[in-house]
Amino acid sequence: MTKTVRYLLIVVVSIWTLAPVAWMVSLSFKGPTEWYAPNLIPIQPIFDNYISLFIPTNPIGGSYFFTSITEPITKPVINSLIAAGLGTIFAVLIGFLAAYGVSRYRAGGTFIIFFTLLTRMLPGATFVAPLMVFYASIHFIDTYAGLILLYTAVTLTYAIWLMKGFIDEIPPEWEEAALLEGASPWTVLRKITIPLTKGGLAASALFIFILNWSEFLFALVISVTEVTTLPVQISKYVSAVGRMYGTMASLGLVATIPSLALGYLIQKHLVTGFTFGRVR
Amino acid sequence: MPKLVVKNLRKLFGTFEAVKDVGFQVEEKETLCLLGPSGCGKTTTLRIIAGLEVPTSGQVFVDGVLVNDVPPQKRQIGLVFQDYAIFPHLSVFENIAYGLRVRKMPEAQLRTKVHDTASLIGVDNILDVPGRKLGLSEMQRVAIGRSIVLDPKLLLLDEPLSNIDAKARERMRAELGKLQKEIGIATVYVTHDQLEAMTLADRIAVMRNGLIEQIGTTSEIYDNPRTLFVGNFIGSPSMNLIDCELVYSEERAILKSGDFALDVTEFAETLRAKSKGRELVLGVRPEDVSVHVRKTDEEAMECEVQLVEPIGARSIYHLKIGRLAVLAKGYAMPEVDVGSKLWTTFNKHKLHVFDKKTEEAIV
Amino acid sequence: MVGVRLANISKKAGKRQILKNVTLEVTDKELFAIAGPPGAGKTTLLKIIAGLIAPDEGQVYIGDQMVNTVPPGDRDVGMVFEVPPIYPNRTGFQNIAFPLEIKKMNNDQVKERVEEVGELLQITHLLERKPATYSGGELQRVALARVLVRKPRVLLLDEPLKNLDAKIRETTRVELKRLQREFGITMIFSTHDEVEATAVGDRIGVINEGVVEQIGGPQELYSSPRSVFVARFIGSPTMNLTECALKQMGEKWVLDASDFNVDMTRRAHQIESEAMSQELLLGLRPEDIVLVDSPANSRCFEAQVELTQNFGDERVVTISVGKVSLNCLTGKERVFTYGQKVYVKLKEEKAYVFHRGTGIAVARSTN
Repeated sequence: MTKTVRYLLIVVVSIWTLAPVAWMVSLSFKGPTEWYAPNLIPIQPIFDNYISLFIPTNPIGGSYFFTSITEPITKPVINSLIAAGLGTIFAVLIGFLAAYGVSRYRAGGTFIIFFTLLTRMLPGATFVAPLMVFYASIHFIDTYAGLILLYTAVTLTYAIWLMKGFIDEIPPEWEEAALLEGASPWTVLRKITIPLTKGGLAASALFIFILNWSEFLFALVISVTEVTTLPVQISKYVSAVGRMYGTMASLGLVATIPSLALGYLIQKHLVTGFTFGRVR
Repeated sequence: MPKLVVKNLRKLFGTFEAVKDVGFQVEEKETLCLLGPSGCGKTTTLRIIAGLEVPTSGQVFVDGVLVNDVPPQKRQIGLVFQDYAIFPHLSVFENIAYGLRVRKMPEAQLRTKVHDTASLIGVDNILDVPGRKLGLSEMQRVAIGRSIVLDPKLLLLDEPLSNIDAKARERMRAELGKLQKEIGIATVYVTHDQLEAMTLADRIAVMRNGLIEQIGTTSEIYDNPRTLFVGNFIGSPSMNLIDCELVYSEERAILKSGDFALDVTEFAETLRAKSKGRELVLGVRPEDVSVHVRKTDEEAMECEVQLVEPIGARSIYHLKIGRLAVLAKGYAMPEVDVGSKLWTTFNKHKLHVFDKKTEEAIV
Repeated sequence: MVGVRLANISKKAGKRQILKNVTLEVTDKELFAIAGPPGAGKTTLLKIIAGLIAPDEGQVYIGDQMVNTVPPGDRDVGMVFEVPPIYPNRTGFQNIAFPLEIKKMNNDQVKERVEEVGELLQITHLLERKPATYSGGELQRVALARVLVRKPRVLLLDEPLKNLDAKIRETTRVELKRLQREFGITMIFSTHDEVEATAVGDRIGVINEGVVEQIGGPQELYSSPRSVFVARFIGSPTMNLTECALKQMGEKWVLDASDFNVDMTRRAHQIESEAMSQELLLGLRPEDIVLVDSPANSRCFEAQVELTQNFGDERVVTISVGKVSLNCLTGKERVFTYGQKVYVKLKEEKAYVFHRGTGIAVARSTN
């Protein structure tokens, strides 16, 4: 493949991937009159879409759209942070220990990874209804506990699968040497395994966080008023009459900030995680 | 006409010069070994010949044809990897037939060819066995079979015996040697094990830091090493190297180093001509250093045993002559142990004298 | 500094019996080699001594104490693995200091110990650098330093020279032996290379498929092997084996191998009484087969040269007599060509006899 063809392909793929994002940025500065217009740069840029995220106002063109006013995003942001954040932390913690057991002690037999991944192959829609009924019976609807529990359970599989791979990279002899020197298995984890798999753990955590953060279906079903997460909140800008693209766009962009921030913060570890090679 | 000609090869990886200036020829039916320590450029050279690496400069000719721009699969070169790379799910027959199938050879012709090759390498009784069930020596033969069935002009092997344990290696060495004689293709192989080089090759090219230090037959390399490095690298245990200087006392010429003195008057002429006041290094192979319990020779030197390494019928003795450490290889003498005092003589016809860096003067 | 004793150790993994009833004893300050082909169970054995694997049956004694229930960290045993446990995220110094860190030694003492070991193994220049820059040999030495810094009473090494270049292996094994002598530490190492085992070990335990075939000093194993396996394992090049039967020829007794025979008159009686059947194996070491140009006496027989291998200071010549192929060790002065006719003289008193069915040695010379 010649160089020009390669560059051409890169440009095409980049545009294809980033175009929707660019459009979102453009929408977020547009008023309702321009939402359906094809121009990328807004003719009359407004900041109301962003302002309305923080201060409840009458939406632009108010009654034309719907009855409820926009809500400040503080609540959905906090909810998302709690649900996705705690969900990720629990999944990573439990997942790491489980992955260690699977990797070093063959916990669960040879096919444990296969079976756990199997659970993820069912589309969420199939068990959302029974889940709701179950949650209703134990009064988990619209609770943080319900959401966090679900997020942890769902992403735990990925956590185990991803982290097992990173743990496998470390030769068991490295841990055995420490055991021989009097370290307890916990010390081994603390001083050897975790420092050496830091990159992998960071990468896994980020991946799982993104999964949880953008999760929509279950959050929609489980939340009523209290635990609405950001994705659910964005969906509320859709009404019977029309959609508030402007605020959806602005909220959407704002919603990506935590993921971006997290990624930026741990990017150093990501590099070591992916380029980690055995010392030969 | 030589089957392989390599001229002025040079290969840079970034700023690292892996191969500096390598050139050699391989005749038909000849086996050449590229021998050297890790990182000397031997594997890179092999890969350039195979076409897996592009040289920074230099040419490769296969059977008289310049192949620099020819992709590996068109060079008519067979390559056997270090771990043989046998397809585990295919039978021996299919493994060997693989290249032929890719080239869309007609079935009848393919069968004959595979069967012929199989009998040549001795696997015709296991043609149905799947790859993963093969033993090591079978795998080696199938790997070679897979390469030669395409009638290559040249066969390349990358560290063919490295991954095998010691005892099996002995067996496979003999088998490989036999195979090479029977097949008769020009072969180049790479290894860091000097024993492998000595036993399997017709000629050896000793490489170091991207250059060939010496190239010659196995006997030449062993008996007449041209540089200190070659002398030291070939031979197990390594050649003894003693820094010394040539001193003239009375009518005699003596190589002296601390408490050690060796009378070399016989060779005084050659030495004087070539040494010219340079710092010298005396090289003696351990098998040319003999040890005796009693002083049988006038010139025998007294020494003390520091360590004994028994190897079957022989032993390696680590001796100290004064403060000089010397290795000797001789018959096992169970009564000799650390601290024993022995007498040692050097075989004067097997001495090598090197300039502190390069040459050698006497045999 | 103590001895190590293993009594009736057995271990299974799944369906495979890895170790069967292994009993051996290593005395204080001894350099013991566990030698055997890959898969014989050497690594498992070492790990059982270290306490990283628990045996199914049997006891491990370190000193006089039975340590089966003692966790690895408390056994005061050091182990060097095939893959050197050097952590890439720490410097050489930190790696070596690691075991002392676990024992919570204070910083000054740690520094002192690490520098001491560093000097001993000549790796002081590596202490400040990260392992990514080390060569294979340097890695092994740092791994060794890490183990030694704790001053354990027993040192275990699992195939320590396997991943090194051939030349470096030679020099490193001498260093290993020298270190052991200097330190006076009880050392047990495993290897698949019998040359390494005999060159370095004071005594060697030959293991095959989980069973101890023979334990003894290098000379003992060489001249008085107890089984075919040991006889072929020890000694390079490998011993030649041919089928034969004990027969009487006139006044003499010979081991008849159809194409040639070996005078066994002196040991015939012993062979007869010890061997249960007539089906025997004749063992001849390559160094005990002499090739001459013309027959020196009537015991010499004719053979044809098949292959020669150049070993530098010696040659290994493969000859064929009838249907039998024999490897012979000769000096480098002689040149043999393919197809050449030679005469063979055997050092008959050095012949080994084995029972064909069981492989057990018969009429061994006592050394």
